[in-house]
Amino acid sequence: MSRYAFFPGCLIPTRYPPMEFAIRYTLPRLGIEVVDLEGASCCPDPIYFKSKDKIAWLSVAARNLCLAEQQGLDIFTNCSGCTATLSEAWHHLQDPEVREQVNTRLHKIGMEYKGTSRIRHIATLVRDEVGYEAVRESVTRPLEGLKVAIHYGCHLLKPSHIMQVDDPNNPTILERLVESLGAEPVRHKNWYLCCGKACQSDDIPGNMMRDLLRAVHEEEAELLCLICPTCFGQFDHGQYKVAKDFDEDFHMPPIYYFQLLAHAQGVPYDQLGLERQRFKPECLQRFEVESHPA
Amino acid sequence: MSEEPVRVDFAFRRELAEKLEGNLASFCYQCGACVGDCPATTYGSDFNPRKIMLKVLYGLGADLLTEDSILWHCTNCYNCAERCPQEVKPVEVIIAMKNMLADRGIYPTPVERIIGTFEETGRTVPPSPAVDKRRDEFDLPPIEPVPMDEIHVLIGLEEAEEGSSGEGEEEAVETAAETAEEGAGEKERATEEEEAAS
Repeated sequence: MSRYAFFPGCLIPTRYPPMEFAIRYTLPRLGIEVVDLEGASCCPDPIYFKSKDKIAWLSVAARNLCLAEQQGLDIFTNCSGCTATLSEAWHHLQDPEVREQVNTRLHKIGMEYKGTSRIRHIATLVRDEVGYEAVRESVTRPLEGLKVAIHYGCHLLKPSHIMQVDDPNNPTILERLVESLGAEPVRHKNWYLCCGKACQSDDIPGNMMRDLLRAVHEEEAELLCLICPTCFGQFDHGQYKVAKDFDEDFHMPPIYYFQLLAHAQGVPYDQLGLERQRFKPECLQRFEVESHPA
Repeated sequence: MSEEPVRVDFAFRRELAEKLEGNLASFCYQCGACVGDCPATTYGSDFNPRKIMLKVLYGLGADLLTEDSILWHCTNCYNCAERCPQEVKPVEVIIAMKNMLADRGIYPTPVERIIGTFEETGRTVPPSPAVDKRRDEFDLPPIEPVPMDEIHVLIGLEEAEEGSSGEGEEEAVETAAETAEEGAGEKERATEEEEAAS
């Protein structure tokens, strides 16, 4: 088992505990031991608190990185926003001037940032440390024939020189991860669009979400798979708003990749915690037939 | 175009240059590569990263640092930073200007609320009994409180205790630190009461 410090952030532990359950269920089955990071705070978020004060934002992020350094472990995150903050912090802290500025603050609480722990999004961790083939081998019920649209979101891939995850203009990581479950990934024409969460305009997020959902619908996908809880919230809530505002109900259920993996690894549909979603991925129920023969 | 001459506000440009990556706009040569893939430009009517960078170059801070600033229409997608041949990172320049807005106490209400929650609890979404119950259903470990004394030192809300410089600043910081201390005191009292009750 390889050991990694788990940085759960704010959204998944509080709003979406079933996603955290899926992570803790699936990773050990892929040979990864999840080590909890004691004393961690919000990353802090790359939208709101970063907009208040970039240096304060970096300092809190550096403290979170110090906690992993103290344990001698690399960090994995389950949210693209946390990945962005911690990776950007790692990048900025390579600059000696910024590092000194941040360490001056950290010294006041008896800490020092050294730069010994690396940060990885959980999808990257699975690709690089586990491999697609091992994911495929962990699957006990292949999701054959399931058409899954992919939503990358922004912060897994960009800024690409900092994230270093995949080609931002032609990424394949999520398609390959979905393929490993036996399902069929579908790329729609608006795949590169943002979820719109950070935008404070009244009309931009809704217009964008509507266009994105239309593209997914055209490809006849059954699900929209994503790897970020913020994107998830936008699709579950935002889709509801699109249905109301534009009178266009696409009924495209979003799902967090690791819940899909948990299902493929044998967790029954009714134990995945999907009952609180506005748009429920009921299409998954057809894979229950084998495990509950009549 | 207006006949009015452009007056460059150098104070604005100097203030922006002090923010992390705030000075990158100086390298902008107005090619417009940032515009084509900008979702806020595509799906909105007013937002244009090239024009925002032009205003920065001209030092037209008064147009950008307003109560209903267009800067908050940015989706933070980083497409502009990917496309820019000059490595300007318009999104980072925009965030640096949001820092300037914050220095003036100007935030959209939802943003201010989330920042407040973080400064109070160390999280953007605080735990609650309902959260604990839901976590319990999935056998997840409880959410531990964040050591807020450490966070407050890092974000400058308790600097006054260490002996601060700048007089006007000191007053503001002290008030914030007092508020934080009061908050901590209330928590301690609450804990004591809980212990007494059990």
